Amino acid sequence: MDILGSFALLLALLAAVYAIGAGIAGIVTRKTLLTKSARNAGLAVFILVTIAVGCLEYYFFTDNFSMAYVAAHSNRALPFYYKFAALWAGQEGSLLLWTWLLSTYAFFALLVNRNKHPELMPYVGVVLAGVQTFFLTLNNFVASPFAVLAGADPSGVMRVSALSDGHGLNPLLQYPEMVIHPPMLYLGYTGFTVPFAFALAALLGRYPGEKWIHITRRWTMIAWCFQSVGILLGAHWAYAVLGWGGYWAWDPVENASLLPWITGTAFLHSVMMQEKRGMMKVWNIWLVFTTFMLCILGTLLTRSGVVSSVHAFAQSSIGNWFVGFLLLVFVVCFASYWRNRDYLRSDNQLDSLVSRESSFLFNNLILLAACFAVLWGTLFPVLSEWVVGSKISVGPPFFNKVNIPIALFLLLLTGVGPLLAWRKTSFDALKRNFAWPLLGGVVAGVVALVFGFRDIYSLICLILGVFVTLTILSEFFRGARVIAARDGSNLISAVGELTMRNTRRYGGYVVHFGMVLIFIGIAGVPFNKDVQKEMAIGQTLNIGPYLILCQNFDRVATANYDSERATLEVFRNGKSEMMLYPERRFFLSSQVTETMVAVQSSPLRDLYIVYAGRSPENGQPVIHAYLNPLVKWIWFGGIVVVLGTGLAMLPNRRTALVLRPVSEPSWGERVSATTSPIGAIAQRGDASD
Amino acid sequence: MIRRRPTKFRSLRGKSLLVAFAALLLAMQAPFMFTSPLYAQQTERGKELGRRVKCMCGGCEDSATGCNHTGGSFSGPCDTAKGMQKEINERVNRSESDDLTLQAFVQEYGPTVLIVPPAKGFNLAAWVTPVVMPILALILVWFLVRRWRNRATLATASGPGVSSEFLSRARREAGKEYDE
Repeated sequence: MDILGSFALLLALLAAVYAIGAGIAGIVTRKTLLTKSARNAGLAVFILVTIAVGCLEYYFFTDNFSMAYVAAHSNRALPFYYKFAALWAGQEGSLLLWTWLLSTYAFFALLVNRNKHPELMPYVGVVLAGVQTFFLTLNNFVASPFAVLAGADPSGVMRVSALSDGHGLNPLLQYPEMVIHPPMLYLGYTGFTVPFAFALAALLGRYPGEKWIHITRRWTMIAWCFQSVGILLGAHWAYAVLGWGGYWAWDPVENASLLPWITGTAFLHSVMMQEKRGMMKVWNIWLVFTTFMLCILGTLLTRSGVVSSVHAFAQSSIGNWFVGFLLLVFVVCFASYWRNRDYLRSDNQLDSLVSRESSFLFNNLILLAACFAVLWGTLFPVLSEWVVGSKISVGPPFFNKVNIPIALFLLLLTGVGPLLAWRKTSFDALKRNFAWPLLGGVVAGVVALVFGFRDIYSLICLILGVFVTLTILSEFFRGARVIAARDGSNLISAVGELTMRNTRRYGGYVVHFGMVLIFIGIAGVPFNKDVQKEMAIGQTLNIGPYLILCQNFDRVATANYDSERATLEVFRNGKSEMMLYPERRFFLSSQVTETMVAVQSSPLRDLYIVYAGRSPENGQPVIHAYLNPLVKWIWFGGIVVVLGTGLAMLPNRRTALVLRPVSEPSWGERVSATTSPIGAIAQRGDASD
Repeated sequence: MIRRRPTKFRSLRGKSLLVAFAALLLAMQAPFMFTSPLYAQQTERGKELGRRVKCMCGGCEDSATGCNHTGGSFSGPCDTAKGMQKEINERVNRSESDDLTLQAFVQEYGPTVLIVPPAKGFNLAAWVTPVVMPILALILVWFLVRRWRNRATLATASGPGVSSEFLSRARREAGKEYDE
């Protein structure tokens, strides 16, 4: 059992290398047997890596402290669910998780398409196996999770030795979200490998048309959705555990997760141009390539320590491998593009600046600008050190200053873009579509100003949020009204019918609405308040409308940690509203202290209480209270984004054509056929994409 | 023979001991009673300036005001951050300008102490590039769109490459569909 994991990993590497060799040979010789054999090897990689992951989990659950990785990241008192999550607590396990998720995607991509696209799939298999080979090389030879602890016996012979107990899991990771946040993020990172593989394969094999985009649309959306969930869970973890009252600090590792998400978002929009009009082919290919390369860059930033980050637990000297791989990927992508660039000629040209096409173009431009600004700020300290010789800091104020205007412009386009027609939009249509939403936004702004909403960015965000929401609602309303008039159904069921007929479009609107909620949640930041105070029993603290009374401090001891806890009663308008119990935990194995924040969350504001510990000056307990408006909107917005993405992935419900006897229409009726329900459906069908 | 002290004296002695004890307690508490902790003293301007310099303890990436040592024994400003904040407060109390205060920190720790790069020299590029690049990209897109539009116009002017036979068949069939 002890060597099964490492043996499985080695076999997986051999299988991946074989998949490349047999795949290339199959493509060159056009022998189906070879391509099938390569595909089977690709499928075997997943089974072998799964065995390796199972072995490592088994070592964790059986407290096998002769394994160096288990001894470093677990201990006997650790609850079983954290033993499960300890798999990705360190570098070796994280990379194994990466490889496993990648092989899972590859397995399903190869399996689902095993009898389809015979000209494309051998290339896809080779690209996927190539990426897997890189990660399996790291797993086997650079950061093996199966290293054993050894010590010299009295005769000087090295033997396997085991610790009586492990060092325990990093206390920062002992929080429910940390069980799911890293796998979600990794599912996002690794998921983008599938569209990358199909894009590169289509380019290399000069696969005709936009078929690779149709094939990978759902794969891309799955990856994007996981990446979104991973980012939001990470933000929520930072909010609930780190105890600094915020959820996003523009840390390089946070930025690294945001970069591929931004380009992935751009790709999801720009593929529509290629699908509908056969445009932006080069752009789309490079967006997929860039997204994949940013995933690798993100791992490089997380793992290498090339930039200072609070994610210090993840740093090592493995960066050179990732730099090498990144360069190799770029060379392969560029060479493939250069050789086959004539294959990527546009079928159509842009007809008007006021059109859906141009809105996608601007949307992509703005997203890329945001991506560049984040990347530039993240890497500038390194650049400055190279050029000037002195390291400088690029902190949150820089990212906020640069990115807030970009994000607001993007929010505006979220409202404008979907209301523009393909090819060209007339001025009348603009007036008809935008008048009410625009008026609603302005009214909301005036009301907010009256109620003392004075921060300019927050105000603009609110106005745009209302504008975008109204444009989305008007889209649903207009479509549903036509269906309701034709079928005689009510408006609510017509909305359901409309959505299910074009899930991609209306699911997309739901995602946009989720993003609006997230933006509004973020707009609350300028109104945050905080008070820190030493509090003896019986003392009170005032923050916003709340009065907090300290009732007690007590200690709780568990096998894993000792905890010091405050019991606080919260009053509002003289009435007791709730009890809060912020904690500080002292983890025995790692000798590290951790905060457990008490949050009372409502749609309007979060009352966020940190038990900061005993004052270093006089030993008095210190309570840090924050009042953070609208934070709940961010988490709720995240849920809406996930639901919208799920909806957009559903297949469209086909319209059933029911024939019914009608009286012979007169000549006049025939002429006005375009205004009849069927005509209306036909018109909507044109506009529905 | 043991002479007992008068009761009055004994009570006086007891009182003085009590007073002395109280004074001692008061003296022990004095720093906390009369000098409230650092975070209670900060002025808004001091806090704002503290947000513009980085805590230089080496263990975090926070600002001096926002220093919050996760995993440490206390979730709040570390000694380095407190020292920096104290210096800021003193300078604020002396009515020193923001620039002078920040310059003093740069001299002590180097430019890395500033939480954002100063907008001069090579560091100006940090601020200018994220603005210039999208503008350049916008100009590029503008030219691209114009080129595309010109091509589209030319394509329409030259007419579609469809045979007259195909066109007449298409017209015939379209007419038939309309009549039905």
